Amino acid sequence: MVEKKNGISEDWLSLWLGLFIFVLSLFAFSGTDTLGWGISTKAWTDVSKATAPVSKKLQPLKGEITKIDSQKVTLKKADGKEETITVKDTTGLKVGDKYEKPGMSGFSSLLLTYLFMLVVMLVGAAALRVNIGKFIIGFTIVFWISYVCWLIGHYAYIAATDAKKAGIPWSLKLTGESGFIVALVAGLVVGNFFPRLSAYLKDVIRPELYIKTAIVLMGALLGVKAAESFGLATAVMFRGLCAIIEAYLIYWALVYFIARKYFKFSKEWAAPLASGISICGVSAAIATGGAIRARPIVPIMVSSLVVIFAVIELILLPFLAQNFLWKEPLVAGAWMGLAVKTDGAAVASGAVTDALIRAKALTMEGVNYKEGWVTMTATTVKLFIDIFIGVWAFILAFIWCAKVECKPGEKVRAVEIWNRFPKFVLGYVVTFALLLIICLPATRAVQPVEKEIGTLKEEVSKAEKQVQITTDPSALAALNEKIKAAKDKMKGLGDQVKEPKATLTNAKIATDGSNSFRVMFFVLTFFTIGVVSNFKKLWEEGIGKLAAVYILALFGFIIWIGLIISWIFFHGVKPPIVTG
Amino acid sequence: MPEGPKLAEELKKMEYEPLLPVEKKLISWSIILGAVLLGILVWVSYTFFPGGH
Repeated sequence: MVEKKNGISEDWLSLWLGLFIFVLSLFAFSGTDTLGWGISTKAWTDVSKATAPVSKKLQPLKGEITKIDSQKVTLKKADGKEETITVKDTTGLKVGDKYEKPGMSGFSSLLLTYLFMLVVMLVGAAALRVNIGKFIIGFTIVFWISYVCWLIGHYAYIAATDAKKAGIPWSLKLTGESGFIVALVAGLVVGNFFPRLSAYLKDVIRPELYIKTAIVLMGALLGVKAAESFGLATAVMFRGLCAIIEAYLIYWALVYFIARKYFKFSKEWAAPLASGISICGVSAAIATGGAIRARPIVPIMVSSLVVIFAVIELILLPFLAQNFLWKEPLVAGAWMGLAVKTDGAAVASGAVTDALIRAKALTMEGVNYKEGWVTMTATTVKLFIDIFIGVWAFILAFIWCAKVECKPGEKVRAVEIWNRFPKFVLGYVVTFALLLIICLPATRAVQPVEKEIGTLKEEVSKAEKQVQITTDPSALAALNEKIKAAKDKMKGLGDQVKEPKATLTNAKIATDGSNSFRVMFFVLTFFTIGVVSNFKKLWEEGIGKLAAVYILALFGFIIWIGLIISWIFFHGVKPPIVTG
Repeated sequence: MPEGPKLAEELKKMEYEPLLPVEKKLISWSIILGAVLLGILVWVSYTFFPGGH
């Protein structure tokens, strides 16, 4: 939304911010969990237990010892759950004893997260050349309001997917991601009813900056996921490519035709409007406006409309998808990427849909889909659309100059493709590719061995049951021999993949750390999208005719063609299922 | 802060421009090309990237 003034552009800044946090997370591969103190939030009935540092090593732990196996100590915690930890010195510990490990409190973790993000964003603010003092106050307000919303969304009565497990009689089962919707609503309230506050926060209200930084960080997480299911990931990527055709060649042409033919818009208005509605909202409208040499006012007006409608879609579509597409999660993800405009709203609606659909599939059919695949699909589709904006602007500029109307002194330069290329996508590609390259060989080594270990475990378990009912000494000896051989083999197999397993563990530590900040950037995105969506102002300015085209195009065919094409390409393609 | 131009005023100022033949061509070719390419991609997708189908 906020374009480059004197300093760096938000696009470049998001790339550097995301890469900085990503690089910090990579220290996990050298044994240092640099970002383990980042905040994680879980469903709560007692707010004091809602927050904790993301690294288990830093979390305090208390319970009764139920098992000691060399350095591994299993504890039964107050909530009845068991957790195994590694203790350096187990002498003096025995089963039945109480054990307490000190750690970092949730509040300290939250405070550190705030301070870290404040410092990182201050560097960003300096690069953007905004008033630093005002930025500190503004960011503090935005951070804490957003986090409180996120916390409210995790209230067990709203978020818990299994009310019984959470120890409550009922729940809305909206998952913790409902915190995003709470943040959005809070943002809308601030944006529409507290104009002075939203004006004061202007320098901090940067949803595009937050979402782009989050997308760079998300690349790493999705790289690990892609390594786990490489075939599925390539299928999702290829299908993402198809979205380009749909958005640029079909949607754009249809919206342009309707705007010109039936709503009598001039070319100057119709082209940015078509790009705004059909491609990627704000940046596409601005790129198209530049390509056809429209007055700056045109794409700006179109952009404000795009943001408003993206919010409406963000509120409606994930819930529609949860009700009607929960059996086809990836269709739902692609649909969000195709139908919801602006990067922030599209990826955000993918994240909400991910949570809602997984919760529904678990409740309805007991199917526990792995987290993140719906978000990944929505993000992939949206990013593929994004990266072609520059090419599209170039093609339009060429066609306009050669065939439609060439303004005096106008030249079409290929460098515009690079100028309009969304740079944050480079960050996404780097983080995704790096983690994929690191994790793919490790996953390929570990997965077949783990399968074999699983089979051996089953054999051991069966043999142990037989031992209990066998009385014949020779049969008993044979069974014990079989168990010993299987256990030896399991140990051998385990040793064989020790190194790749350590790589995967480190990758998880790295992505858990960066993901903690990715989530916070998401929450900031939702809140700030709400703040910039000033319905009142747009209504006062005379939204009528422009909104009519938007509504007709969006609800008349964009959403539905998007759904049909998502269905054609993604139906039957399911996310991996959580096993064990 | 100076008031920016209002959307309604800008839209009122807009003059009618009939749809040019070149625009009609652009629209129809774009949709035809899009439909054909989608057909090809569906085939490629189902054939080479089944991923669960």
